[in-house]
Amino acid sequence: MFALRRTKRGVLASATLAVSALALSAIPAQAFSVHAETGVTATQIKLGITIPLTGSAAPGYSKIPSAMQAYFNYVNDNGGVYGRKISLVVKDDAYLPTLAVAKTNELILKDKVFAVVGALGTANNKAVAKSVNLGRRGIPDLFLNTGYSGFADAKKYPTTFSLFPSYIMEAKIMGQYIKENFAGKKLGLIYQDDDFGTDALVGFKQAGVKFDVSVPYASGSQSAQSAQGWIGKLKAAGAEVVVMFGVTTASGAALATAAAMAYKAQWILGSVGGDATTLKAVGVPAYVLTGAMGASFLPAPTDTTDEYVKFFQGINTKYNGDAVFDNNVLVAMNTAMMTVQALRAGGKNLTHASVMSALENSGSSFASASLSPINYASGVHVGYSGYWFGTYNSAGELKPNGGAYSVYTTDSGAGAIVKSTFKRPALPANGLPTN
Amino acid sequence: MKKKISILAVSALASLALSVLPTAAHAVAPTCATANFVTSCQGATSDGALYAMSVPANFNGTLVLYSHGYRYPVDIPAGIPLVGGYKVVKVPEPAPSAAVAKYLLGKGFAIAGSGFAVEGWNADSGIKTDTELIATFKAQFPTTTKVVAWGSSLGGFITQGLAEQHPDLISAAAPMCTVAGSVEGELTMAADVLWGMKTFFDPTIKGHNYSAGAAGYGEAMGDLVKVFTVLGKLQAGVASGAWPDTAGAAGTALAAIPSRSALLLVGLMSGLPTQSMHFDATSGPGPKNSASYTSFALAASPALAVLENIANAAVLGVLATYDVEQQAGGAVIDNSKTDYAARIESEAVSNNAALSGNTAIGGMLSFLNPANPAAPRWTADPAAVTKMRALASHTGKINVPTIALANVADPAVPAGNVQWLADRYAEQYAHAKGVAMATFSKTGTYTAVRKSFLAVWSVPPTIYTKFTNTGAPDTSGPAANGTGHCGYTDKQLMAIVDLATNAAATGKLMSGGPLYTVIRKAGGLSIDPEFRAPLLKFYNEQ
Repeated sequence: MFALRRTKRGVLASATLAVSALALSAIPAQAFSVHAETGVTATQIKLGITIPLTGSAAPGYSKIPSAMQAYFNYVNDNGGVYGRKISLVVKDDAYLPTLAVAKTNELILKDKVFAVVGALGTANNKAVAKSVNLGRRGIPDLFLNTGYSGFADAKKYPTTFSLFPSYIMEAKIMGQYIKENFAGKKLGLIYQDDDFGTDALVGFKQAGVKFDVSVPYASGSQSAQSAQGWIGKLKAAGAEVVVMFGVTTASGAALATAAAMAYKAQWILGSVGGDATTLKAVGVPAYVLTGAMGASFLPAPTDTTDEYVKFFQGINTKYNGDAVFDNNVLVAMNTAMMTVQALRAGGKNLTHASVMSALENSGSSFASASLSPINYASGVHVGYSGYWFGTYNSAGELKPNGGAYSVYTTDSGAGAIVKSTFKRPALPANGLPTN
Repeated sequence: MKKKISILAVSALASLALSVLPTAAHAVAPTCATANFVTSCQGATSDGALYAMSVPANFNGTLVLYSHGYRYPVDIPAGIPLVGGYKVVKVPEPAPSAAVAKYLLGKGFAIAGSGFAVEGWNADSGIKTDTELIATFKAQFPTTTKVVAWGSSLGGFITQGLAEQHPDLISAAAPMCTVAGSVEGELTMAADVLWGMKTFFDPTIKGHNYSAGAAGYGEAMGDLVKVFTVLGKLQAGVASGAWPDTAGAAGTALAAIPSRSALLLVGLMSGLPTQSMHFDATSGPGPKNSASYTSFALAASPALAVLENIANAAVLGVLATYDVEQQAGGAVIDNSKTDYAARIESEAVSNNAALSGNTAIGGMLSFLNPANPAAPRWTADPAAVTKMRALASHTGKINVPTIALANVADPAVPAGNVQWLADRYAEQYAHAKGVAMATFSKTGTYTAVRKSFLAVWSVPPTIYTKFTNTGAPDTSGPAANGTGHCGYTDKQLMAIVDLATNAAATGKLMSGGPLYTVIRKAGGLSIDPEFRAPLLKFYNEQ
């Protein structure tokens, strides 16, 4: 149910002020004390997330909220954000757009969160944007767990800030890699037949890659049975290199079925469906994954030489029950660190507007584990823009091709793909942002 | 899917058990009798509308005038599913339920309502009847000081029309589950449903351009049988995806796509909700992590919701089309230029899985393309359209404090009708504020603009679909809150009429804590100012 947004006293006060404020326009706004924003008290900042904890997309992604909260708890134990502790209200949307809408409404109307952070899924976020209308409400919708290019439209989604590179960028970069490394091979593609997959099609087209066989699947239809149909088509077409652009459960179904059907190809997994531990969890034997290729904008979660990875692994041990540290955990903790910096940048008098303004003004300089630059600027709400490629070894670790991370960046349009010279900011002392 | 969906007749048929007077060709003065401290009067207005009035001994001076919803203008043969055997009735309806009538009388309010002079789409005569009834009531009960008008569905339309045309007669209004704007928006939705059902599932459905006289009546009745027959076949094929054997060219061309996806597409392109009385489009049978739960929630539930919604709105859709065409003298709906792809652009994202993905969506939309000879579009008779557009319509101007109530998942009169009113009022309010500011600039005096419109939304719960022990959907229970056409609880109706009578007494809408208390106590209602119901497709294209 909807509840009071203002106290009775506040209502009366605003009625009175409606007239007097007109005569006071010459007085600087700073002269007035700023009232507390919804979800912010003297001691707490309440955030919310919708994510699949159950259902077809839950494996892997369900680890994200606890990993985010783990980092928040670490920050809370070290003074919070200007003395305020961060709490994260988690809602299970089962990867269903209708449920995502209902749960986001709960976050806003019942839990009264300050902002939504890390909500997952292209269709879910689009449904929420349309039905809940975070933009119209002025509620920050930060660091979505999707790379759908459409969220770059800051006019249509004024309070939304994407973090991941767009799927178009990913496909463009992947496409160039394919052209350079697999010229003359028969190419196959499995993709989720919605806006997520459509982005990929656009990116591959931009890159000039044509697939000999394309296999779309409707979101939620992935299963061992349906994967037999996919593999049958790939096999019949003689595809030698297969790109998998779907969620992890779809990748898992495809890889496991390919092995069972003795179909061998060079697999290239998109970043969404390429988490090795999740693939193992959904039944993909390590040997099936070995030799497959993948892409990422973060360092490999097994790369203990990386200071961010090493730090987050420590947080994971102490605050996250020592969960299996994989790409989902790394993404989650990195998102949490970005969130803390955004909240700090929003200032002591934290408001929706101050956070979003801060992201536009200084978000590009935030500390982040990503090997890609951050692109936030005035009117630019897309974060990362680059990927590196690697190959899974027999332990399921994604190792960078050539032995070192070579990140390539691009945009969602016709822009060139260039090798990045980005120098990542150092990890803040003790992993605690001081921006 | 063995269990058949129980399809309820629209609530417009429900009426209070009042004695029926003979139809009058001229006004019949009220005859009154007093019992149990309530004076009850019956009579007829000059156009022959039967009316009923009830006035308690402790009458507080405020009349609460109710306008009932759409009643079918023709008898319906016994063989028609759901509504077979219906006879045209003109009994007066002074309140939406007996409990609400008792509640109002107990609080000292008088109640009144007519059965209207004609049934069917009767907004013009309904407004006239209500106007006369107010005068008759005041003449009979001279201590009357205020009138609150409220009504359901078409009665809501009449209520808003009364408030626009005769704001001097009423002090507050409460249109509920109301049609708003014009009849054209509703008929466009009905036509989209019927055209989609015809094009995909049974080309022999006529759907529009019914003949005059008995022939047209027979065509409409025949359509009802066909629509329900197809719905039964679609229901049987939800799990397998099989197309009805009546499907014709679409069944062949689109056979690889589950028929449930085509059914859902029909619902989305028409603007029907994807939640219904028993299907939440969110849950499934078994444990939440099971494949059966997810696949039902994703793929089956939205289609079954649309199926249940079409079933509940089909009779109204066919008969209202037939009714208005008879009044207008020809076909009134033209979809020859309708861009169905544009219509579902955003809905297709949320329902992508249930629609079987972008490739399937593209295939279905391609079939509906105007260039496809197997999917002929409909054209209207310009003269008939002119006549239809001459029927009563709304400007959307809010002249008196108004509370509008809508079920978020109303299949017959979607909540977008109330959204249309809310949008018109938002423009009116912004303009008034602009004028106030301009006055302030000139004179230094600022007069705050008071809000006069409140949209109240009856919201379905997130999860409510029930399943039997075998995992089949169980539709034997009551409809979920916020679904169906008008079916509000008495508590909700009492809350709305409390707000309306309070507004009439104070001259302004209740606000702040007292308002939220009323809403909270009613249960299942929301006044979230940022909520937006999707507009009817017709209004999106204006």
